Amino acid sequence: MATVTLRDICKSYGKSETVTNVNLTVEDREFMVLVGPSGCGKSTTLRMIAGLEEITSGQLLIDGVDVTDLPPQRRDIAMVFQSYALYPHMTAYHNMAFGLLKTSKLTKTQVDARIREAAEILNITDLLGRRPKELSGGERQRVAIGRALVRQPKVFLFDEPLSNLDAKLRNHMRGELKRLHRDLGLSIIYVTHDQIEAMTLGTRVAMMSKGRLQQVDRPMDIYLNPANTFVAGFIGSPEMALIACRSDQRGTIRHNAFRSAVELKADNLPNDVLFGVRPEEVSFSRTAGMAQGKVEQSELIGAEALVQVRLGDELMMVRCQVSDAPQPGSDVGLDFDLSRARLFHAGTGQAINLVRE
Amino acid sequence: MSQRFARARRKEALLAYAFLFPSFLFLATFTYWPIIRSFWFSLHDVVLGDPEIFWMGAENYMRVLDDALFWKVLANTAFYTLTTIPISILAALLLAVALDRKLRGMAIYRSAFFYPVMIPSVAAGMVWVFLYAPGYGPINAALGAIGLPHLDWLYDSDLALSAIVIMSAWKYSGYFMLILLAALKLVPSDLYEAARLDGVSGVQRLLHITIPLISPTLYFVVVIGILHSYQVFDYVYVMTQGGPADSTNVLTYYIYQNGFQYQDIGYASTVANTLLVFMLGLIGLVALTLGRRVHYLGEK
Amino acid sequence: MDATIAERPSGAGSPPAIKPTRRRSLRSRIASCWLHLVLIPVGLLWISPLAWIVLTSLKTKIEVFDPEAGFLPAALNFANYPATLAVAPFGTYLINSILVTGSILIGQLITITLAAYAFARMEFPFKKILFTLFLLQVMFPIYAIFLTNFVTLHEFGLINTLPAMIVPFVASGYGTFMLRQSFRQVPAELSDAARLDGCGHLEILWHVFLPLVQPTLIAFTIISVVTHWNDYMWPLLVTNSDDVRTLPIGLGLLAKSDSGADWTRLMAGTTIVVSPLLLFFVIFQRRFIDSFMHTGVK
Repeated sequence: MATVTLRDICKSYGKSETVTNVNLTVEDREFMVLVGPSGCGKSTTLRMIAGLEEITSGQLLIDGVDVTDLPPQRRDIAMVFQSYALYPHMTAYHNMAFGLLKTSKLTKTQVDARIREAAEILNITDLLGRRPKELSGGERQRVAIGRALVRQPKVFLFDEPLSNLDAKLRNHMRGELKRLHRDLGLSIIYVTHDQIEAMTLGTRVAMMSKGRLQQVDRPMDIYLNPANTFVAGFIGSPEMALIACRSDQRGTIRHNAFRSAVELKADNLPNDVLFGVRPEEVSFSRTAGMAQGKVEQSELIGAEALVQVRLGDELMMVRCQVSDAPQPGSDVGLDFDLSRARLFHAGTGQAINLVRE
Repeated sequence: MSQRFARARRKEALLAYAFLFPSFLFLATFTYWPIIRSFWFSLHDVVLGDPEIFWMGAENYMRVLDDALFWKVLANTAFYTLTTIPISILAALLLAVALDRKLRGMAIYRSAFFYPVMIPSVAAGMVWVFLYAPGYGPINAALGAIGLPHLDWLYDSDLALSAIVIMSAWKYSGYFMLILLAALKLVPSDLYEAARLDGVSGVQRLLHITIPLISPTLYFVVVIGILHSYQVFDYVYVMTQGGPADSTNVLTYYIYQNGFQYQDIGYASTVANTLLVFMLGLIGLVALTLGRRVHYLGEK
Repeated sequence: MDATIAERPSGAGSPPAIKPTRRRSLRSRIASCWLHLVLIPVGLLWISPLAWIVLTSLKTKIEVFDPEAGFLPAALNFANYPATLAVAPFGTYLINSILVTGSILIGQLITITLAAYAFARMEFPFKKILFTLFLLQVMFPIYAIFLTNFVTLHEFGLINTLPAMIVPFVASGYGTFMLRQSFRQVPAELSDAARLDGCGHLEILWHVFLPLVQPTLIAFTIISVVTHWNDYMWPLLVTNSDDVRTLPIGLGLLAKSDSGADWTRLMAGTTIVVSPLLLFFVIFQRRFIDSFMHTGVK
């Protein structure tokens, strides 16, 4: 059992605050992904959980025990670093044994057994005698994970562990990590700036920006119902289109390019809203459609096409079958999937609760 | 909240001071305290082992100003540093440029020029006394063989200091050469290629590409040269004892004479302070003139 | 004024522009012939003092002063060596040299390692000022303030003891600077990993930093040993009896007692004194050259 609870965690360097009031609970056996652009405070948050950075204010609990002031080695955590941080002068075996011998009271044979077991799981038994210099990037990555595994900690922390690998290896290691999490029932907190890693790995995703937590949810919930325009823009590729519209109290949304007003039900709508549509939530209409646009360009990306359409002053992307892709310059009618459409407050960027039928 | 923070900070600072303490203890005892004390001594009449110390005010300094020998010694010191350093660096630069390529026997050449650094100054001094010997010394023998007149070298007050300069150049050029060689290896070869395509001659390449690019290292070598110039004491002590007629007497040796031979710690300290000022001035001068012209390769 | 020039392109320099043609290689061969033609005489000139030491030590007294005698000894005469060893306690000198140089080195390695780590990896008030103070020692070594230091050691009652030759050199501003530069190049994530593995600062220093900066430690060791093994001025000032003298002092004394006449014995003594370091130099040539070579490239 391992839960990690962050209560009002703040981090400041002098006067500038890099992490502000983070509240988050990571459940046992959860794969929590902290995601956000660089400088958003996600790595600092992870390093505070690890004990590598001071927590300026707030409280950190692991399994209900307050560890805010404990040094890293007494928090029962293990971490995998971006550069792997393997000791260059030690063999893979000693890299794995070093911390274990220092932090636990295990005998040499018990340590050996653990290393053999972890090596078996990670398929690195043959590499144990080698030094980091003699290992490939992927192999180093495995050893680094092995070093964390043998500790059998309550929580595993990963700091952008895949960003030094090439694309192919990264896909492969993503699968491996998923398998490890499932097979061994690990509790993981994982930091990345890559939304694909966040979406594919996380059981839940915590989205950060400017030192604040923006949204914590299951990946699909974040994707479908982003809490604000920042999350909407960060997750999903190509980005969700945010069309500036005018609205009245009853939920009638108007835009120059719309043929007729779009009706959505919500309480207390502001006058200016952003109408959020993802590329796959729009289709080219065989009839006149709900809105009128002009095709700027289209890209064929194999199985499907991405078409850039101009709606008045704004550009949006439409995902469609290659055979459906219209010629650039042609006028097209568009239909929106209103069951998934969402509205944001134009001023604050916050999502507006819609009443769905 | 910030209390916790402050506590950790304080703990780290305390540990850092603990790490610095061993060094600092020795630095304080053998560097900072002596410098301060040297100034205190210079204002007093101090005799080694005698607890009685008399205040003299600026008297020692007045004495220095009136001391014709002091001015001669200062001029000798300036002559030694201002000739030894340029000569050995020029020799080092020429050797380094010559050796900065693939050359058969490279290791032998490097060792041949570098080994004098390994030789104790006392041994080097003695051999050169022998080499310079007026009657049977091989240098005079060689001069005679090519029809040049014999010279008295260390026994000639016009030549003795220059003889020590030549010996010093032999001793240090190899060291400076190695440092410059390391810097030359970092000069991008495509710069030379480009210059060659532009039809720039060898000497021009040296002046306009090589020297500007290795100028930080040249600067560093000059500073090292200044610091090594303290060793002139050993040569003077071994080779000439300051003579003939004080023509090779330099500041360090003059301090030694006053302090150890005449037991006049106060006056010796006063001269020692002028040495500190002299060195400080020299390094300052170098930093202001050469330091400003330094070109940096890439980083920093 | 301070022109900045782009760093050298990565990889093994520029690609070979043109395959060197026959003609070009011929020209470069002629060029290197010329170089050898200049360098060989200069090199011989440089080696000649050493050759002179060794050759003279093998001559007889009469040969030295005989203008008709050649450059080489008529017959190899090794008698000067036992004669030299008989007049002065070179064994004691050797042991003293080893004790002094070794103690300085051990002391320096301890002080500079701790100080360099603090300057490279810890935060504390007055860091900049303290670092400048450390560098002050580079500019004003013991040789600049030998007089006052002598007085200090006199007051400590250490004159004419081995510690007198050791203690002034235990701290090293230069060594601290050199090691700090290397420590700063150790990736920060390695210390983080070590902290998670349960290491405090001292353990991080011992288990992570020191193994990683071995080349710098070796370079410093070589430079320190060469400097202090050969040191003349300071041991000369603080010793006055044979039981604490070091090799260079012993050699200087030999010259004094022989009053410049007995060159054969003196050169045999010189050979004995210079050979330990030169022998190490010949065996570990690359290491020595690299160590001194990179003192300038920071």
